[in-house]
Amino acid sequence: MTKGPDMTDSHGSLPGPGPADIDLDRVWTGVAAEVWRRRPGPVERLASRLLRSPGLARALLTTPSLLLGWVLATVVVLLAGVAFTLSTGTPWVALVAPPVAGAGIAYAYGPGIDPAWELSQSMAISDRMVLLVRALAVFGLNALLGLVASAASGAAAAVTFGWLVPMTAVCALALAAATLTRSPNVGVLAGLAGWLIIVLGERVAAGQLTAAVTSTALILPYLAVAAGCVVIAVYATRTPRGAA
Amino acid sequence: MNVEISELSRRFGRTQAVAGVDLRAGPGVFGLLGPNGAGKTSLLRMMATVLPPSSGTLRLLDRDPGSYGPRREIRRRLGYLPQNLGYYPGFTVAEFIEYFALLKDMPSRQVPRAVAASIEQLGLGGKARAKLRTLSGGMLRRVGIAQAIVNQPELLLLDEPTAGLDPEQRVAFRALLREFGERATVIVSTHLVEDVAAACSEVTLMDAGKIVFHGTPDELIAQGEGHGVGDAPLERGYSAVLAAARS
Repeated sequence: MTKGPDMTDSHGSLPGPGPADIDLDRVWTGVAAEVWRRRPGPVERLASRLLRSPGLARALLTTPSLLLGWVLATVVVLLAGVAFTLSTGTPWVALVAPPVAGAGIAYAYGPGIDPAWELSQSMAISDRMVLLVRALAVFGLNALLGLVASAASGAAAAVTFGWLVPMTAVCALALAAATLTRSPNVGVLAGLAGWLIIVLGERVAAGQLTAAVTSTALILPYLAVAAGCVVIAVYATRTPRGAA
Repeated sequence: MNVEISELSRRFGRTQAVAGVDLRAGPGVFGLLGPNGAGKTSLLRMMATVLPPSSGTLRLLDRDPGSYGPRREIRRRLGYLPQNLGYYPGFTVAEFIEYFALLKDMPSRQVPRAVAASIEQLGLGGKARAKLRTLSGGMLRRVGIAQAIVNQPELLLLDEPTAGLDPEQRVAFRALLREFGERATVIVSTHLVEDVAAACSEVTLMDAGKIVFHGTPDELIAQGEGHGVGDAPLERGYSAVLAAARS
Protein backbone atom coordinates (compact mmCIF):
# COMPACT_ATOMS: atom_id res chain seq x y z
CA MET A 1 0.00 0.00 0.00
CA THR A 2 3.00 2.26 0.03
CA LYS A 3 2.43 3.34 -3.54
CA GLY A 4 -1.07 4.69 -3.05
CA PRO A 5 -1.38 8.44 -3.59
CA ASP A 6 -2.91 9.02 -0.14
CA MET A 7 -0.46 6.74 1.55
CA THR A 8 2.75 8.59 1.05
CA ASP A 9 5.54 7.67 3.42
CA SER A 10 6.23 10.04 6.24
CA HIS A 11 9.84 10.37 5.10
CA GLY A 12 8.66 11.58 1.68
CA SER A 13 10.58 11.28 -1.58
CA LEU A 14 14.29 11.21 -1.55
CA PRO A 15 16.09 13.70 -3.83
CA GLY A 16 17.79 11.19 -6.04
CA PRO A 17 18.80 7.58 -6.41
CA GLY A 18 21.25 6.31 -3.78
CA PRO A 19 24.24 4.09 -4.34
CA ALA A 20 23.22 0.82 -5.97
CA ASP A 21 24.19 -1.33 -3.00
CA ILE A 22 22.04 0.57 -0.46
CA ASP A 23 18.41 -0.40 0.00
CA LEU A 24 16.98 2.91 1.17
CA ASP A 25 13.62 1.39 2.11
CA ARG A 26 15.40 -1.03 4.38
CA VAL A 27 17.46 1.75 5.90
CA TRP A 28 14.34 3.83 6.51
CA THR A 29 12.54 0.88 8.11
CA GLY A 30 15.48 0.47 10.49
CA VAL A 31 15.41 4.18 11.36
CA ALA A 32 11.63 4.15 11.80
CA ALA A 33 11.85 1.07 13.99
CA GLU A 34 14.17 2.92 16.35
CA VAL A 35 12.13 6.13 16.29
CA TRP A 36 8.73 4.54 16.77
CA ARG A 37 9.56 1.75 19.19
CA ARG A 38 8.20 2.03 22.69
CA ARG A 39 10.95 1.73 25.25
CA PRO A 40 9.74 -0.31 28.20
CA GLY A 41 10.15 1.26 31.63
CA PRO A 42 11.99 -0.40 34.51
CA VAL A 43 8.83 -2.07 35.86
CA GLU A 44 8.00 -3.56 32.47
CA ARG A 45 11.58 -4.73 32.01
CA LEU A 46 11.48 -6.36 35.43
CA ALA A 47 8.11 -7.99 34.69
CA SER A 48 9.41 -9.16 31.32
CA ARG A 49 12.37 -10.82 33.02
CA LEU A 50 10.27 -12.38 35.77
CA LEU A 51 7.57 -13.64 33.43
CA ARG A 52 10.04 -14.53 30.68
CA SER A 53 7.65 -12.99 28.19
CA PRO A 54 7.73 -9.41 26.88
CA GLY A 55 4.15 -9.91 25.64
CA LEU A 56 2.82 -10.85 29.06
CA ALA A 57 4.71 -7.99 30.67
CA ARG A 58 3.22 -5.53 28.19
CA ALA A 59 -0.26 -7.02 28.68
CA LEU A 60 0.13 -6.66 32.42
CA LEU A 61 1.30 -3.08 32.44
CA THR A 62 -0.14 -1.26 29.49
CA THR A 63 -3.58 -2.61 28.69
CA PRO A 64 -6.72 -1.07 30.14
CA SER A 65 -6.78 -2.99 33.38
CA LEU A 66 -7.36 0.29 35.18
CA LEU A 67 -3.89 -0.09 36.58
CA LEU A 68 -3.38 3.43 37.89
CA GLY A 69 -6.93 3.78 39.19
CA TRP A 70 -6.72 0.46 40.95
CA VAL A 71 -3.40 1.26 42.62
CA LEU A 72 -4.60 4.70 43.72
CA ALA A 73 -7.91 3.32 45.03
CA THR A 74 -6.08 0.62 46.94
CA VAL A 75 -3.65 3.07 48.51
CA VAL A 76 -6.42 5.53 49.43
CA VAL A 77 -8.70 2.86 50.91
CA LEU A 78 -5.93 1.25 52.91
CA LEU A 79 -4.60 4.59 54.20
CA ALA A 80 -8.13 5.50 55.25
CA GLY A 81 -8.47 2.04 56.77
CA VAL A 82 -5.32 2.50 58.82
CA ALA A 83 -6.52 5.89 60.03
CA PHE A 84 -9.91 4.53 61.06
CA THR A 85 -8.34 1.48 62.64
CA LEU A 86 -6.00 3.57 64.74
CA SER A 87 -8.77 5.93 65.84
CA THR A 88 -11.54 3.36 66.48
CA GLY A 89 -9.68 0.16 67.31
CA THR A 90 -11.71 -1.78 64.73
CA PRO A 91 -9.58 -3.50 62.02
CA TRP A 92 -11.04 -1.59 59.09
CA VAL A 93 -8.14 -2.54 56.86
CA ALA A 94 -9.10 -6.17 57.08
CA LEU A 95 -12.75 -5.35 56.50
CA VAL A 96 -12.19 -3.10 53.50
CA ALA A 97 -9.30 -4.85 51.74
CA PRO A 98 -11.20 -7.92 50.43
CA PRO A 99 -13.83 -6.05 48.37
CA VAL A 100 -11.18 -3.65 47.06
CA ALA A 101 -9.08 -6.54 45.83
CA GLY A 102 -12.20 -8.24 44.48
CA ALA A 103 -13.07 -5.14 42.44
CA GLY A 104 -9.52 -5.04 41.07
CA ILE A 105 -9.73 -8.67 40.02
CA ALA A 106 -13.18 -8.27 38.45
CA TYR A 107 -11.90 -5.40 36.32
CA ALA A 108 -8.75 -7.22 35.24
CA TYR A 109 -10.24 -9.25 32.41
CA GLY A 110 -13.14 -9.70 30.02
CA PRO A 111 -14.92 -8.45 26.92
CA GLY A 112 -16.55 -5.64 28.87
CA ILE A 113 -13.12 -4.32 29.81
CA ASP A 114 -10.92 -5.05 26.84
CA PRO A 115 -12.02 -3.24 23.66
CA ALA A 116 -9.76 -5.50 21.59
CA TRP A 117 -11.11 -8.66 23.21
CA GLU A 118 -11.89 -10.44 19.93
CA LEU A 119 -8.41 -9.79 18.64
CA SER A 120 -6.82 -10.78 21.94
CA GLN A 121 -8.50 -14.16 21.76
CA SER A 122 -6.65 -15.02 18.58
CA MET A 123 -3.23 -14.36 20.08
CA ALA A 124 -0.53 -16.91 20.89
CA ILE A 125 -0.25 -15.60 24.45
CA SER A 126 -3.61 -16.71 25.73
CA ASP A 127 -6.09 -14.44 27.41
CA ARG A 128 -6.21 -16.88 30.32
CA MET A 129 -2.50 -16.46 30.93
CA VAL A 130 -2.96 -12.71 30.83
CA LEU A 131 -5.76 -13.09 33.37
CA LEU A 132 -3.60 -15.20 35.64
CA VAL A 133 -0.79 -12.67 35.59
CA ARG A 134 -3.16 -9.78 36.22
CA ALA A 135 -4.82 -11.64 39.08
CA LEU A 136 -1.44 -12.36 40.65
CA ALA A 137 -0.48 -8.71 40.25
CA VAL A 138 -3.71 -7.47 41.83
CA PHE A 139 -3.47 -9.93 44.66
CA GLY A 140 0.24 -9.46 45.22
CA LEU A 141 0.09 -5.69 45.35
CA ASN A 142 -2.97 -5.63 47.58
CA ALA A 143 -1.40 -8.20 49.87
CA LEU A 144 1.76 -6.11 50.10
CA LEU A 145 -0.14 -2.90 50.80
CA GLY A 146 -2.36 -4.73 53.27
CA LEU A 147 0.66 -6.08 55.11
CA VAL A 148 2.13 -2.62 55.40
CA ALA A 149 -1.19 -1.19 56.53
CA SER A 150 -1.77 -4.01 59.03
CA ALA A 151 1.69 -3.57 60.48
CA ALA A 152 1.03 0.13 60.86
CA SER A 153 -2.24 -0.58 62.63
CA GLY A 154 -0.39 -2.54 65.31
CA ALA A 155 -1.95 -5.96 64.98
CA ALA A 156 -0.03 -7.30 62.07
CA ALA A 157 -0.11 -11.06 62.51
CA ALA A 158 -3.73 -11.59 63.46
CA VAL A 159 -5.14 -8.95 61.18
CA THR A 160 -3.00 -9.98 58.24
CA PHE A 161 -4.09 -13.59 58.51
CA GLY A 162 -7.61 -12.38 59.15
CA TRP A 163 -7.89 -10.48 55.90
CA LEU A 164 -5.64 -12.57 53.66
CA VAL A 165 -7.85 -15.65 53.67
CA PRO A 166 -11.17 -13.82 53.29
CA MET A 167 -9.60 -11.65 50.59
CA THR A 168 -8.75 -14.80 48.66
CA ALA A 169 -12.36 -15.95 48.87
CA VAL A 170 -13.85 -12.60 47.87
CA CYS A 171 -11.40 -12.22 44.97
CA ALA A 172 -12.21 -15.69 43.72
CA LEU A 173 -15.94 -14.97 43.99
CA ALA A 174 -15.61 -11.68 42.09
CA LEU A 175 -13.47 -13.31 39.42
CA ALA A 176 -15.85 -16.25 38.99
CA ALA A 177 -18.87 -13.96 38.67
CA ALA A 178 -17.06 -11.58 36.29
CA THR A 179 -15.80 -14.31 33.98
CA LEU A 180 -19.01 -16.33 34.03
CA THR A 181 -21.26 -13.38 33.23
CA ARG A 182 -18.61 -11.56 31.17
CA SER A 183 -19.35 -8.44 33.18
CA PRO A 184 -16.88 -6.84 35.57
CA ASN A 185 -19.70 -4.91 37.22
CA VAL A 186 -21.44 -8.16 38.10
CA GLY A 187 -18.13 -9.40 39.49
CA VAL A 188 -17.75 -6.35 41.69
CA LEU A 189 -21.35 -6.62 42.88
CA ALA A 190 -20.97 -10.33 43.64
CA GLY A 191 -17.76 -9.76 45.60
CA LEU A 192 -19.20 -6.83 47.49
CA ALA A 193 -22.51 -8.55 48.20
CA GLY A 194 -20.80 -11.76 49.28
CA TRP A 195 -18.53 -9.88 51.66
CA LEU A 196 -21.38 -7.80 53.12
CA ILE A 197 -23.42 -10.94 53.73
CA ILE A 198 -20.51 -12.59 55.54
CA VAL A 199 -19.65 -9.51 57.62
CA LEU A 200 -23.25 -8.79 58.57
CA GLY A 201 -24.03 -12.47 59.09
CA GLU A 202 -21.11 -12.84 61.47
CA ARG A 203 -22.10 -9.57 63.15
CA VAL A 204 -25.50 -11.10 63.92
CA ALA A 205 -24.14 -14.53 64.85
CA ALA A 206 -21.12 -13.49 66.92
CA GLY A 207 -22.23 -10.05 67.99
CA GLN A 208 -19.21 -8.21 66.64
CA LEU A 209 -18.51 -6.56 63.33
CA THR A 210 -15.01 -7.95 63.08
CA ALA A 211 -15.95 -11.61 63.47
CA ALA A 212 -15.66 -12.12 59.70
CA VAL A 213 -11.91 -11.44 59.91
CA THR A 214 -11.12 -12.70 63.39
CA SER A 215 -13.02 -16.00 63.59
CA THR A 216 -10.73 -18.96 62.91
CA ALA A 217 -13.79 -21.15 62.31
CA LEU A 218 -14.33 -19.34 59.01
CA ILE A 219 -10.94 -20.14 57.52
CA LEU A 220 -11.94 -23.48 56.05
CA PRO A 221 -15.24 -22.21 54.60
CA TYR A 222 -13.35 -19.25 53.06
CA LEU A 223 -10.83 -21.60 51.47
CA ALA A 224 -13.61 -23.89 50.23
CA VAL A 225 -15.45 -20.97 48.63
CA ALA A 226 -12.20 -19.76 47.07
CA ALA A 227 -11.44 -23.19 45.63
CA GLY A 228 -14.96 -23.57 44.22
CA CYS A 229 -14.88 -20.13 42.65
CA VAL A 230 -11.47 -20.73 41.10
CA VAL A 231 -12.86 -23.87 39.47
CA ILE A 232 -15.74 -21.82 38.07
CA ALA A 233 -13.35 -19.13 36.80
CA VAL A 234 -11.15 -21.76 35.15
CA TYR A 235 -14.24 -23.22 33.47
CA ALA A 236 -15.47 -19.80 32.35
CA THR A 237 -12.11 -18.91 30.80
CA ARG A 238 -11.38 -22.29 29.28
CA THR A 239 -9.87 -22.15 25.85
CA PRO A 240 -12.39 -23.46 23.34
CA ARG A 241 -11.49 -26.60 21.51
CA GLY A 242 -10.90 -25.93 17.86
CA ALA A 243 -12.43 -29.14 16.63
CA ALA A 244 -15.14 -31.46 17.78
CA MET B 1 -2.97 -27.19 2.50
CA ASN B 2 -3.08 -24.34 4.99
CA VAL B 3 -6.81 -24.70 5.60
CA GLU B 4 -8.64 -28.02 5.64
CA ILE B 5 -12.24 -27.91 6.76
CA SER B 6 -14.62 -30.81 6.73
CA GLU B 7 -18.31 -30.80 7.66
CA LEU B 8 -17.75 -27.79 9.89
CA SER B 9 -20.81 -26.47 11.69
CA ARG B 10 -21.53 -23.84 14.25
CA ARG B 11 -24.79 -23.29 16.03
CA PHE B 12 -25.85 -20.41 18.28
CA GLY B 13 -28.87 -21.65 20.17
CA ARG B 14 -31.45 -22.41 17.49
CA THR B 15 -29.57 -20.53 14.79
CA GLN B 16 -27.37 -22.58 12.49
CA ALA B 17 -24.69 -20.05 11.54
CA VAL B 18 -22.47 -22.48 9.63
CA ALA B 19 -23.88 -25.75 8.34
CA GLY B 20 -21.53 -28.51 7.21
CA VAL B 21 -18.92 -26.50 5.33
CA ASP B 22 -16.09 -28.19 3.43
CA LEU B 23 -13.17 -26.06 2.31
CA ARG B 24 -9.52 -26.52 1.39
CA ALA B 25 -7.15 -23.69 0.70
CA GLY B 26 -3.45 -23.40 -0.06
CA PRO B 27 -1.53 -20.21 -0.86
CA GLY B 28 -3.56 -17.59 -2.72
CA VAL B 29 -6.24 -15.01 -2.11
CA PHE B 30 -9.69 -16.40 -1.43
CA GLY B 31 -12.79 -14.26 -1.42
CA LEU B 32 -15.62 -15.14 0.92
CA LEU B 33 -18.82 -13.62 -0.41
CA GLY B 34 -22.38 -13.76 0.77
CA PRO B 35 -25.30 -11.73 2.07
CA ASN B 36 -25.60 -10.59 5.69
CA GLY B 37 -26.09 -13.55 8.00
CA ALA B 38 -24.66 -16.04 5.49
CA GLY B 39 -22.15 -17.32 8.04
CA LYS B 40 -18.98 -15.69 6.69
CA THR B 41 -17.92 -14.07 9.95
CA SER B 42 -18.64 -17.21 11.99
CA LEU B 43 -16.57 -19.28 9.57
CA LEU B 44 -13.74 -16.76 9.72
CA ARG B 45 -13.86 -16.64 13.53
CA MET B 46 -13.57 -20.44 13.67
CA MET B 47 -10.55 -20.27 11.39
CA ALA B 48 -9.10 -17.58 13.67
CA THR B 49 -9.43 -20.05 16.59
CA VAL B 50 -11.66 -17.55 18.37
CA LEU B 51 -14.87 -19.54 18.05
CA PRO B 52 -15.05 -23.30 18.60
CA PRO B 53 -16.99 -25.32 16.03
CA SER B 54 -20.09 -27.19 17.16
CA SER B 55 -19.09 -30.13 14.98
CA GLY B 56 -16.82 -31.06 12.10
CA THR B 57 -13.07 -30.98 11.72
CA LEU B 58 -10.72 -28.10 11.21
CA ARG B 59 -7.01 -28.20 10.42
CA LEU B 60 -4.99 -25.04 10.04
CA LEU B 61 -1.40 -24.89 8.82
CA ASP B 62 -1.29 -28.70 9.10
CA ARG B 63 -2.16 -28.53 12.80
CA ASP B 64 -5.17 -29.30 14.95
CA PRO B 65 -6.31 -26.12 16.72
CA GLY B 66 -8.11 -28.25 19.29
CA SER B 67 -4.88 -28.90 21.19
CA TYR B 68 -3.05 -26.25 23.18
CA GLY B 69 0.43 -26.54 21.65
CA PRO B 70 -0.62 -26.66 18.00
CA ARG B 71 -3.17 -23.89 18.56
CA ARG B 72 -0.48 -21.64 19.99
CA GLU B 73 1.74 -22.40 17.01
CA ILE B 74 -1.13 -21.61 14.62
CA ARG B 75 -1.74 -18.32 16.38
CA ARG B 76 1.91 -17.37 16.03
CA ARG B 77 1.53 -17.73 12.26
CA LEU B 78 -1.94 -16.22 12.01
CA GLY B 79 -3.07 -12.73 11.07
CA TYR B 80 -6.64 -11.79 11.87
CA LEU B 81 -8.65 -8.65 11.31
CA PRO B 82 -12.03 -8.92 13.05
CA GLN B 83 -15.11 -7.27 11.62
CA ASN B 84 -15.25 -4.93 14.60
CA LEU B 85 -11.71 -3.98 15.52
CA GLY B 86 -11.67 -2.88 19.12
CA TYR B 87 -8.78 -0.62 19.97
CA TYR B 88 -7.22 1.15 22.92
CA PRO B 89 -7.84 4.86 22.38
CA GLY B 90 -4.76 5.92 24.35
CA PHE B 91 -2.36 3.77 22.34
CA THR B 92 -0.45 5.20 19.40
CA VAL B 93 -0.52 3.39 16.07
CA ALA B 94 2.97 2.00 16.66
CA GLU B 95 2.19 0.95 20.25
CA PHE B 96 -0.98 -0.87 19.19
CA ILE B 97 0.77 -2.85 16.46
CA GLU B 98 3.75 -3.55 18.71
CA TYR B 99 1.47 -4.78 21.48
CA PHE B 100 -0.15 -7.37 19.25
CA ALA B 101 3.18 -8.35 17.73
CA LEU B 102 4.34 -9.20 21.26
CA LEU B 103 1.13 -11.11 22.00
CA LYS B 104 1.74 -13.10 18.83
CA ASP B 105 4.91 -14.22 20.55
CA MET B 106 7.24 -12.68 17.99
CA PRO B 107 10.86 -12.56 19.16
CA SER B 108 11.10 -9.16 20.83
CA ARG B 109 14.24 -8.20 18.90
CA GLN B 110 12.36 -8.52 15.62
CA VAL B 111 9.33 -6.56 16.76
CA PRO B 112 10.41 -2.91 16.19
CA ARG B 113 11.48 -3.52 12.60
CA ALA B 114 8.40 -5.63 11.86
CA VAL B 115 6.16 -2.91 13.29
CA ALA B 116 7.88 -0.23 11.20
CA ALA B 117 7.61 -2.36 8.07
CA SER B 118 3.90 -3.02 8.52
CA ILE B 119 3.23 0.66 9.26
CA GLU B 120 5.03 1.60 6.07
CA GLN B 121 3.23 -1.07 4.07
CA LEU B 122 -0.08 0.43 5.07
CA GLY B 123 1.10 3.97 4.44
CA LEU B 124 0.65 4.97 8.06
CA GLY B 125 4.13 6.41 8.55
CA GLY B 126 2.84 9.92 9.11
CA LYS B 127 0.50 8.69 11.82
CA ALA B 128 2.79 6.22 13.61
CA ARG B 129 2.87 8.28 16.80
CA ALA B 130 -0.73 9.48 16.63
CA LYS B 131 -3.17 8.27 19.28
CA LEU B 132 -5.74 5.87 17.92
CA ARG B 133 -8.59 8.03 19.20
CA THR B 134 -7.56 10.76 16.75
CA LEU B 135 -7.80 8.55 13.65
CA SER B 136 -10.61 8.26 11.11
CA GLY B 137 -12.46 4.98 10.50
CA GLY B 138 -10.44 4.27 7.36
CA MET B 139 -7.17 4.89 9.18
CA LEU B 140 -8.20 2.59 12.02
CA ARG B 141 -9.02 -0.11 9.48
CA ARG B 142 -5.51 0.22 8.09
CA VAL B 143 -4.08 -0.02 11.60
CA GLY B 144 -6.09 -3.23 12.02
CA ILE B 145 -4.65 -4.60 8.79
CA ALA B 146 -1.13 -3.58 9.87
CA GLN B 147 -1.42 -5.55 13.10
CA ALA B 148 -2.72 -8.54 11.12
CA ILE B 149 0.31 -8.61 8.83
CA VAL B 150 2.99 -7.60 11.34
CA ASN B 151 4.11 -11.21 11.88
CA GLN B 152 4.17 -12.03 8.15
CA PRO B 153 1.39 -14.58 8.68
CA GLU B 154 1.05 -17.80 6.74
CA LEU B 155 -2.70 -17.58 7.20
CA LEU B 156 -4.27 -14.14 6.92
CA LEU B 157 -7.98 -13.77 7.74
CA LEU B 158 -9.59 -10.43 7.00
CA ASP B 159 -13.21 -9.62 7.77
CA GLU B 160 -14.47 -6.68 5.70
CA PRO B 161 -10.98 -5.18 5.38
CA THR B 162 -11.92 -2.48 2.90
CA ALA B 163 -14.77 -1.01 4.95
CA GLY B 164 -14.00 2.69 5.33
CA LEU B 165 -11.16 2.76 2.79
CA ASP B 166 -11.45 5.21 -0.08
CA PRO B 167 -11.14 3.93 -3.69
CA GLU B 168 -7.43 4.73 -3.99
CA GLN B 169 -6.66 2.99 -0.73
CA ARG B 170 -8.69 -0.01 -1.83
CA VAL B 171 -6.69 -0.30 -5.03
CA ALA B 172 -3.44 -0.20 -3.03
CA PHE B 173 -4.83 -2.70 -0.53
CA ARG B 174 -5.72 -5.17 -3.27
CA ALA B 175 -2.10 -5.04 -4.46
CA LEU B 176 -1.00 -5.84 -0.92
CA LEU B 177 -3.40 -8.79 -0.84
CA ARG B 178 -2.03 -10.18 -4.08
CA GLU B 179 1.52 -9.82 -2.75
CA PHE B 180 0.64 -11.75 0.41
CA GLY B 181 -1.26 -14.36 -1.58
CA GLU B 182 1.92 -15.37 -3.35
CA ARG B 183 3.26 -16.98 -0.17
CA ALA B 184 0.35 -17.21 2.27
CA THR B 185 -3.30 -18.17 2.39
CA VAL B 186 -5.38 -15.00 2.48
CA ILE B 187 -9.09 -15.30 3.14
CA VAL B 188 -11.09 -12.13 2.73
CA SER B 189 -14.70 -11.85 3.77
CA THR B 190 -16.33 -8.97 1.96
CA HIS B 191 -19.56 -7.56 0.58
CA LEU B 192 -17.73 -5.86 -2.25
CA VAL B 193 -17.58 -8.05 -5.33
CA GLU B 194 -15.15 -5.67 -7.04
CA ASP B 195 -12.56 -6.49 -4.36
CA VAL B 196 -12.99 -10.15 -5.19
CA ALA B 197 -12.75 -9.56 -8.91
CA ALA B 198 -9.56 -7.54 -8.54
CA ALA B 199 -7.66 -9.48 -5.92
CA CYS B 200 -8.92 -13.04 -5.49
CA SER B 201 -7.82 -16.16 -7.28
CA GLU B 202 -10.76 -18.13 -5.92
CA VAL B 203 -14.13 -17.20 -4.56
CA THR B 204 -16.48 -18.96 -2.18
CA LEU B 205 -20.08 -17.87 -1.96
CA MET B 206 -22.02 -18.63 1.22
CA ASP B 207 -25.72 -18.49 1.92
CA ALA B 208 -27.63 -19.63 4.99
CA GLY B 209 -24.49 -21.15 6.50
CA LYS B 210 -23.62 -23.26 3.46
CA ILE B 211 -21.21 -22.92 0.60
CA VAL B 212 -23.28 -22.55 -2.54
CA PHE B 213 -20.44 -21.85 -4.95
CA HIS B 214 -16.69 -22.33 -5.03
CA GLY B 215 -14.54 -21.54 -8.04
CA THR B 216 -12.63 -18.80 -9.77
CA PRO B 217 -14.06 -15.32 -10.30
CA ASP B 218 -14.35 -16.14 -14.02
CA GLU B 219 -16.42 -19.22 -13.19
CA LEU B 220 -18.71 -17.11 -11.01
CA ILE B 221 -19.07 -14.61 -13.84
CA ALA B 222 -20.02 -17.46 -16.15
CA GLN B 223 -22.84 -18.42 -13.80
CA GLY B 224 -24.43 -15.04 -14.39
CA GLU B 225 -24.35 -15.01 -18.16
CA GLY B 226 -27.90 -14.48 -19.33
CA HIS B 227 -29.19 -14.53 -15.73
CA GLY B 228 -28.97 -12.55 -12.56
CA VAL B 229 -29.19 -8.92 -11.72
CA GLY B 230 -26.42 -6.44 -11.16
CA ASP B 231 -24.29 -3.88 -12.92
CA ALA B 232 -21.07 -5.86 -13.11
CA PRO B 233 -20.58 -9.38 -14.50
CA LEU B 234 -19.48 -10.69 -11.10
CA GLU B 235 -22.57 -9.20 -9.46
CA ARG B 236 -24.74 -10.98 -12.00
CA GLY B 237 -22.97 -14.24 -11.26
CA TYR B 238 -23.36 -13.63 -7.52
CA SER B 239 -27.09 -12.97 -7.77
CA ALA B 240 -27.66 -15.88 -10.17
CA VAL B 241 -25.95 -18.35 -7.83
CA LEU B 242 -27.86 -17.02 -4.82
CA ALA B 243 -31.16 -17.19 -6.71
CA ALA B 244 -30.45 -20.77 -7.75
CA ALA B 245 -29.48 -21.75 -4.19
CA ARG B 246 -32.66 -20.32 -2.76
CA SER B 247 -35.05 -21.69 -5.37
